[in-house]
Amino acid sequence: MSVVFFLTEEVPVLKKTAVCLSGIFILMSLLLATSGCSSPRAESSSPLPPQLRLRVATTTSLYDSGLWGYLEPMFERKYNVELDIMYAGSGKALEYGRRGDVDIVTIHDQIREEQFIADGYGVRRVPFAYNYFLIVGPSVDPAGIKGLTPEAAFKKLMETGKASFVSRGDDSGTHAKEKDIWAEAGYDYEAVRNAGRWYIEAGTGMGPTLMMASEKQAYTLTDIGTYLTYKGKLALVPVVDKGSLLLNVYSAIALNPEKMPQAKIDMANNLIEFLISPEIQEFIGNYGIEEYGTQLFTPYVGSEPE
Amino acid sequence: MTEIWHGLTKAIGLIISLDPEVTEIAGRSLMISLTSTLLTSLICLPLGSLIHFKQFPGKRLVISLIQTFFGIPTVAIGLFVFILFSRAGPLGGLNLLFTPAVMVLGQMILITPLLLGLTIAALSGVDKVIPDTARSLGASGFQMTIIVLREARFAVMATVIMGFGRAISEVGIALIVGGNIRGFTRVITTAISLETAKGDLELSLALGIILIFIALIVNILLNRLQPR
Amino acid sequence: MPLIETVNLCQNSDGRDILKNVSLKVDRGEVFALIGPTGAGKTTLLRLIDLLDLPTSGKIYFDGSDVFESGKRKLEARRRMAFVLQKPVVFNMSVYDNIAYGLKLRRVDKGSIRQKVGRILEMVGLSTYQNRNARTLSGGEVQRVAIARAIVSEPDVLLLDEPTANLDPVSTAKIEQLITDIIRRDDTTIIMATHDMSQGQRLADRVGVLLDGEIRQTGGFQDIFTAPGSREVADFVGVENIIDGVIASNDDKVVTIDIGDNVIAAISDYAVGEKVYACIRPEDVTLALSRISSSARNSFSAKITRVVSRGQLSRIEMDCGFPLVALITKRSTEELNLAATREVYAIFKATGVHVIKRKSD
Repeated sequence: MSVVFFLTEEVPVLKKTAVCLSGIFILMSLLLATSGCSSPRAESSSPLPPQLRLRVATTTSLYDSGLWGYLEPMFERKYNVELDIMYAGSGKALEYGRRGDVDIVTIHDQIREEQFIADGYGVRRVPFAYNYFLIVGPSVDPAGIKGLTPEAAFKKLMETGKASFVSRGDDSGTHAKEKDIWAEAGYDYEAVRNAGRWYIEAGTGMGPTLMMASEKQAYTLTDIGTYLTYKGKLALVPVVDKGSLLLNVYSAIALNPEKMPQAKIDMANNLIEFLISPEIQEFIGNYGIEEYGTQLFTPYVGSEPE
Repeated sequence: MTEIWHGLTKAIGLIISLDPEVTEIAGRSLMISLTSTLLTSLICLPLGSLIHFKQFPGKRLVISLIQTFFGIPTVAIGLFVFILFSRAGPLGGLNLLFTPAVMVLGQMILITPLLLGLTIAALSGVDKVIPDTARSLGASGFQMTIIVLREARFAVMATVIMGFGRAISEVGIALIVGGNIRGFTRVITTAISLETAKGDLELSLALGIILIFIALIVNILLNRLQPR
Repeated sequence: MPLIETVNLCQNSDGRDILKNVSLKVDRGEVFALIGPTGAGKTTLLRLIDLLDLPTSGKIYFDGSDVFESGKRKLEARRRMAFVLQKPVVFNMSVYDNIAYGLKLRRVDKGSIRQKVGRILEMVGLSTYQNRNARTLSGGEVQRVAIARAIVSEPDVLLLDEPTANLDPVSTAKIEQLITDIIRRDDTTIIMATHDMSQGQRLADRVGVLLDGEIRQTGGFQDIFTAPGSREVADFVGVENIIDGVIASNDDKVVTIDIGDNVIAAISDYAVGEKVYACIRPEDVTLALSRISSSARNSFSAKITRVVSRGQLSRIEMDCGFPLVALITKRSTEELNLAATREVYAIFKATGVHVIKRKSD
């Protein structure tokens, strides 16, 4: 009762304050956005204006293998640019691309990549590395699929319906590959999803999916790079590693500046050139040999898979 | 058990040795959440006072609406902010998605209902005669608000600290709109989420310990603020 | 020109009229007491005068100008007043800072604040408490801080709402002394609300009786006390004997009032046939054990129905064909051996009867 009226007459000060505060807020937000907050790398060099950030959405298998951890600083040094690497399955990476939230994607899902370019979002598809998928599982091989072709192995999994299988379930390139195999095996994917409790959809990246399969002692489809990187933490062994279906090609696609005017096509092209340069191709070919005793990725340029 | 012990000792080692990745992520978390809490406070304390002191139709509805949003899921806000700031969204042109700034904004949206609601509650806790006393002594509306906020200072501080606690411990917004970019938008919670999934438990544990430690400090502060 | 003038102030809350057409004038330097029972609207009126609330209708003039012209004008006017609310609260800060608050609002410089607060602290006798948190003070001390806080800005008008309600007698005496000091020291205009008539009598120059949201009568305390203008005012100021009657004769202002079985003599201007109340203050009634001849025009034989002791006084309730109450000393009660069922004579003068016109309803 006592304060019913004062605001109508005496409170403009308060309103003014509120307006001032919102102003300060917007200003600070912009400052924060441009200064790149507290990135220690940004502090060690000079703070970068936003146009010198290149945003890459990368498939999780490339990320989890640790390859980007090496490529990122090399590229940043070479071109004096800040590389923001987004951890996303191929599906999510392409969606980021379609929304214009990234400048370039590095993924492994040829069919959708071609669709992406046909829709005008991407400029061209530049493969830069490949390896093979594996079906891994517990060493006791409860479903008895060792040595089969991937489609035969999937068929057996479906028929026995007991041994668990962890699917990425995240619309990623690996997930797309898994669906291809199911199709080759003669199953409708929706039927597989509803086949029973043995079929587990993780909805997460390659590394986490491997961890989950190991915890549950289940089979899963993985690229060899991530598997080798995680091998030490896993109680899983390769079960199926032969079959033309298992080829896994990684490509980079720069966003089409005609469709996305803000896309940083020049820097994106720099990244593509960087990835297929002899120097980096050699680095990719050698990556992991020292640590895992075997190659994680095969360079694409000059040794295209047949 | 051995895994936990092993992980814990390694984690504590990471903290004590001031591992650059751990300190960097923890520092960024603090920076982002302190900024969002500060900015939200600057908005919500005056706005909460305005709502508290002004009589208007639907006031009760507004207050119960604010309280409803106390527990709003962080991922819902994350999704909303993502759609807003994505290039294809209405504010895409600001080029803010996957930056600390938009994480700050998301956290601000998250804790705004909390700060508003608790500010109003804090002011309601002040003796009703205080505003009248201040005005009868010659305070303008603004000066009166200041003294009432001052009288409620313990509760107001507690409000701000609670907002900070919620901001720094949320993961949904940071993950969705921040993108968990290493060295740029990776904060304690998103790092824990990723590293745990990847099986890198030492880093997760180290960050988890720091988060709990921050929560502990927040709680100690809250307790010390209780008027005796 | 009055310092404060209210014109037809009305306040309505939740469909209930709290104030009805209150028009008041208070001159500069005057001490005005608003008396009335709890719930009469005293606080509401003081809040309106201090411009804390807006009236439903009506105007307030402060020093000749309409205060509702603008928010700025309102704040200016309010800053020339100070209001000690009925339930005083202190801010959660030191006694010194509490008292300095109003000065800080007015941007008084630090040196002057120290000087003024120091002087006031001395005046209210709280110098030694200046650094204590005001929340730790007793009720009486809090009231003194509240008054000090109000007068330190040297307001033109001091509004006091029941300044001694809920205080013990010692604290009450201290507060009243403080108010007397303020009145004596400077020419502060004071408007105080009280339900304690004797306090009004002790402190005020002029009194307004507020009943049911209406000002029923204003004037000197003695006028109201001896000549209440209406039955309700008479009731409130403690006239216990109010008797319905009709003027039966008027012989040059000496009237007789027919009250049914009896006739009361009184002094009045009213014409024959006028319906009136005869008001007799209990202290104006004398008791005798036998019929005595005296100058008093009214003498009734009565039977005591009850004797109630009230400190040094006794309240004697009687039946003389109509109920009558007398207030006499305890000593007289003992000497005359007055007790229930005793037959006595109740005597009062015609000039002791105050005649009020009865409203035709």
